[in-house]
Amino acid sequence: MKVFVRAILLCAALSVAGAQAADEPAANDEFRSIDEDVQALKEEVLELNRDLFLLEEELLFPANSQVAFFLSVDVGEYFALDSVTLKIDGKEVANYLYTEREADALRRGGVQRLHMENLKTGDHELVAVFTGFGPHEREYRRGATVNLSKGLGAKYVELAITDRAPKQQPEFDVREWE
Amino acid sequence: MKLPRIPTFLLWAFALSATAPAAADDATVPTVVEDPHYGEVLFHFYQEDYFPAIVRLLAAQHEARLPHHDAEAELLLGGLYLSYGHHRRAADIFERLLADSTDPAVRNRTWFFLARIWHQRGYTDEAQLALANIEGPLPGSLNAERTLLGAQLLIDRRQYAEAIEVLAGFRDRSEWLSYARFNLGVALVRAGRTDEAADILDELGELEPWNDELAALRDKANLALGYAMLQGGEARLAKRPLQRVRLNGPFSNKALLGVGWADAEREDYGRALVPWMALRERSLLDPAVQESMLAVPYAMAKLDSISQAADHYLDAIEAFAEENRRIDGTIDALESGRLLSTFLADNAEATTGWHWRLESLPDGVGANYLYHLLASHEFQEGLKNYRDLDYLARNLERWQSSLGVFRNMLETREQAYDERLPRVTASLAGADLEGMVDRKLAFDARLDSIERNHDALALASPAEFALWGEVSALAQNPAVAADLPEAEDLRHKLRLMKGVLQWDLEKSFKERLWRLRRDVRESGEALVETQRSRRRVDESMQTEPGLFAGFGARIDGLAPRIESLRARVGRAMDRQRVYLQGIAVGEMQAQKERLHTYSVQARFALAAIYDLSSTTTAEAAQ
Repeated sequence: MKVFVRAILLCAALSVAGAQAADEPAANDEFRSIDEDVQALKEEVLELNRDLFLLEEELLFPANSQVAFFLSVDVGEYFALDSVTLKIDGKEVANYLYTEREADALRRGGVQRLHMENLKTGDHELVAVFTGFGPHEREYRRGATVNLSKGLGAKYVELAITDRAPKQQPEFDVREWE
Repeated sequence: MKLPRIPTFLLWAFALSATAPAAADDATVPTVVEDPHYGEVLFHFYQEDYFPAIVRLLAAQHEARLPHHDAEAELLLGGLYLSYGHHRRAADIFERLLADSTDPAVRNRTWFFLARIWHQRGYTDEAQLALANIEGPLPGSLNAERTLLGAQLLIDRRQYAEAIEVLAGFRDRSEWLSYARFNLGVALVRAGRTDEAADILDELGELEPWNDELAALRDKANLALGYAMLQGGEARLAKRPLQRVRLNGPFSNKALLGVGWADAEREDYGRALVPWMALRERSLLDPAVQESMLAVPYAMAKLDSISQAADHYLDAIEAFAEENRRIDGTIDALESGRLLSTFLADNAEATTGWHWRLESLPDGVGANYLYHLLASHEFQEGLKNYRDLDYLARNLERWQSSLGVFRNMLETREQAYDERLPRVTASLAGADLEGMVDRKLAFDARLDSIERNHDALALASPAEFALWGEVSALAQNPAVAADLPEAEDLRHKLRLMKGVLQWDLEKSFKERLWRLRRDVRESGEALVETQRSRRRVDESMQTEPGLFAGFGARIDGLAPRIESLRARVGRAMDRQRVYLQGIAVGEMQAQKERLHTYSVQARFALAAIYDLSSTTTAEAAQ
């Protein structure tokens, strides 16, 4: 019967407790060979994705008509963004509901590419509305109307939700550059 | 665009802060996001969507869209690769960027995280080299972790004496000291210095844990010490450490089994039955529980409860056979690939990365048999690769279907262009832009002449001009020149009318001239814009076919790349699956062998009981 005892003894005594209570590393030639293969594939698939991403963008939104709308958030800890709606020349083109994870990524300084559009050169009207919740579950709904002038090249428009305005309440601050 | 609360230069370190909370604390310089595309990368990065973040960063770099964040972007890319588990590429970037970094804190911390990933992936030499690149101390608890990682690498390389030296000299006030002491015990056991190891394990077995990890470490130390004592024939002493193991922890089954053995070794079988019977209530998946099914009748037989012992042996044989069938079912599920698919189905749409770890087993046939495989890096890292490959396969599949859409889109654009072209050409041919320019210039010259000659009548409206002509014609009429009072009166009126008309024209001459010049100028501007548009149309007519051809060539070039990568990813998945199945089936086979051994033991013991019983009956009959 003592043979049972010995079998378990070895399991219990010889594992190494490391930083993550780690056991033996995944070291063997086969693992390593597969891992190196996986690394090479990741590299190539990422490069391919880059090329496809750019191709898609150029095909769908040629540079001379492209307008990209970005959304950023620079507000206090207690404002929770809920949704953003975008209208261009009276037509609703984006209506985005934010998950907690996305709203957090924005709050930490990420910038969302909210919408891409093809616009002819000339003047266009942009209407943006956001909703969210402030301290004590107070609901916010603010909008901004901006006249955009589209020139020949690609144009970027940043819709920044900021409470740096004198009222210290979240408002849109629209910036554009070409 | 603001990034007000985020440490700047060390953004990449944030990716690793889940395993090192102190790592992010001392990075304080705020960054302002100047390029929206950089912010877009951060948007995905903060959501731990590393793959799309890397793709966007590579695209933005390719298109030179990050003029304000060049250096940071490269460092961020290294961090993203690291978080994504692409440690080779991450190391290339860090080696290049950090070789001359003026900030040793950044450099050291990077090397440390790289060493940790490499160790986890089994790249021992690389991990050792990365550790060697660290110069000076690391911040906070990372320093202790670094020492432990170094010692662990030495143990992995069987350099026990060196590991013992490092660990024995380890001084720290945090929980890392307990880990270091445990690893010192392990190194001593492996070096054959068991007496010294026992002292250390005993000391650890007495520690007052303040978190779950330390409680588990204490249990582990007690279990190791207890079994070492049992093996060394010190059954009486073994009970104390074994009884210190928590009854509800992961090591409790083994501890209960050991406590029973400690009593059994001293032939106190009645006492041994207490922990062993307690084990019978627990899951038969655990080898300690399986073994207790033999230990219980063994003790009963020793206590002369032969009939009860026989019943328990029969129960054990039945249970082992049932367990064996379940394991066969699991092996079948493994070999058919069904079982590994359940691991992929768990949150399959989430992006992958180095942080991912399977925390709980999916429901399904036999997944729980693989429970303790999850504790091994070999299986976890293999599973990560398998999930990563699955993500790549789905990504490539999506792009392959998108490529068809791109082709259709391009064809539609080409078709629309071909249809529009004749209309545009005809319309351009009909528009005499040069003639319009000549007319505009003639207008300018005419206005100059009018201004120079102050020709107010030239700016008269058609009605005024007609009136002027009428008045002038009447004045020339011979009847008006007659020497009569009525004619004199008419001449006076005509002079008056002409004077009024001239007065009006003179008075508004400047304004009329200004209006005309403005209209001509505006026409000129419109003409310039029309000429510009025409040039663009001309250019477009020349470049558009080339553009279409360029897009077509890109699509054609990408299709075989996708095809080839899909095939390679498929093959790598097969390889990784076979590898994981090998580990798991090996584990299952080991469990089967153990059950077989136990089963043979049970049958042998049962046969012995029957022999004894029939001998006793025969003797009684005689």
